[in-house]
This record gives sequence, structure tokens and C-alpha cells, in this order.
Amino acid sequence: MEMETTAVAPGNQVRLPTGILGFEQFNNYVLLANPAEMPFAWLRVADSASLAFVVINPFIAMPDYAPDIPQPDVEFLDLKEPADALLFSIVTLRGPNRATLNLKGPLVINRHTRIGKQVIIANANNYSVEHPLPVAAASA
Amino acid sequence: MLILSRKSGESIVIAGNIRVKVMRVEGDVVKIGVDAPSSVPVHRQEVYEEIQRNNQQALTQPSAPLPKLTPPQK
Repeated sequence: MEMETTAVAPGNQVRLPTGILGFEQFNNYVLLANPAEMPFAWLRVADSASLAFVVINPFIAMPDYAPDIPQPDVEFLDLKEPADALLFSIVTLRGPNRATLNLKGPLVINRHTRIGKQVIIANANNYSVEHPLPVAAASA
Repeated sequence: MLILSRKSGESIVIAGNIRVKVMRVEGDVVKIGVDAPSSVPVHRQEVYEEIQRNNQQALTQPSAPLPKLTPPQK
């Protein structure tokens, strides 16, 4: 994987003031997408180049996903309308043919301010943190 | 741990800007209201821990090989 060839444009920076749960110490991230790896993208920790999360648009895996973003989070992110938000789910790679998706705690990013938050959705009880993602190992 | 006795309708204040109020007590269920600035995350502990654990498993290296998404089985 030639991740190093991906240019880091300033617009790809994302700030998560409250961090990712369990990683509150990291607040600055870079969102990277390599066309060959789509629909997966990378959320790389800006303060530590060797750490990253794999993310994906959850609607690709579950078209009827209906996350309920709590109002305090909507205000915190200054979202005026749904179109202001970019939504990602964190992917856990569990083996060459196995990956899961966290649907309880999606990452919501205001596409204008580039400020985001890992939101615990109000209807988290309806979804899994380990929703199976249909994957197969990429052929070399 | 600080332990305080509160009756239904009574509150505690944390750091001047977080108010935790006992709304109602029904048997062994206590309904709690939390007024906090939107920058302060408030979660049920078990959901919080589940997501935190999952995040720890999800953290990887930027060089990790990614699989291909396979079309859903119809």
C-alpha cells in the first residue's frame, strides 16, 4: 500500500476536540482517501503518523442506517442541516476476510468547519459496535 | 469516592457548570438529569466502554492492507 504517495491537502485536516473515545489525547487527524482503496478511507492521527483508523461511509454497508445524533452534539458541531455533516463509521480489521463496523459510535464531521466528534447515537441500542462488513482479502 | 444523599428533585453541581439532578426514583431505577455544556461528553458507562474497547481494537497502522468490500449476498 503506497499511503505515502497520498498528498495531504490542508482541507483534509479534521479536528476532534473531544478525541476518539479511549484516545482523548489525540485531537488532530488527517482524512486520507486512496482511490484504489475506496470505499475505505483513513483517519490518520496527525500527532502520531504511525496510528490510524480505517473509516467508511456506513450507508454503503447499511443503506437503511438511521443514526439519531443527539441535539447537544448537533449544537457542538454547529450543524445547521444534515447536509453539513460528513458521517463515517470506524472499521475494525479482524483478519484478511473479516472486518466489522462500529454503528453505535459514528464519527460526525462538520464539512465546513472540519470539526468532528465521535458521537454515541441516541438509538445506539438498535445497532452493533461490531456490525459485520462483507469483505474479501484484496488480491495483490 | 464522594457519596452524597439526595432526594428526588435535588441536584448536585460539579465544577460550577454541570448539574446532576435526581429526577425520579422508581424501585431500583433512578432517573438522572444532566445539564452540562455541550463540550462535555456524558454517556451511559456501558455504551461508552463498549465503544472505547472497539476503538482500541480498531486502531491500526496507516500501512495496514485493506480488504475489498464484497457485494452483499442476495
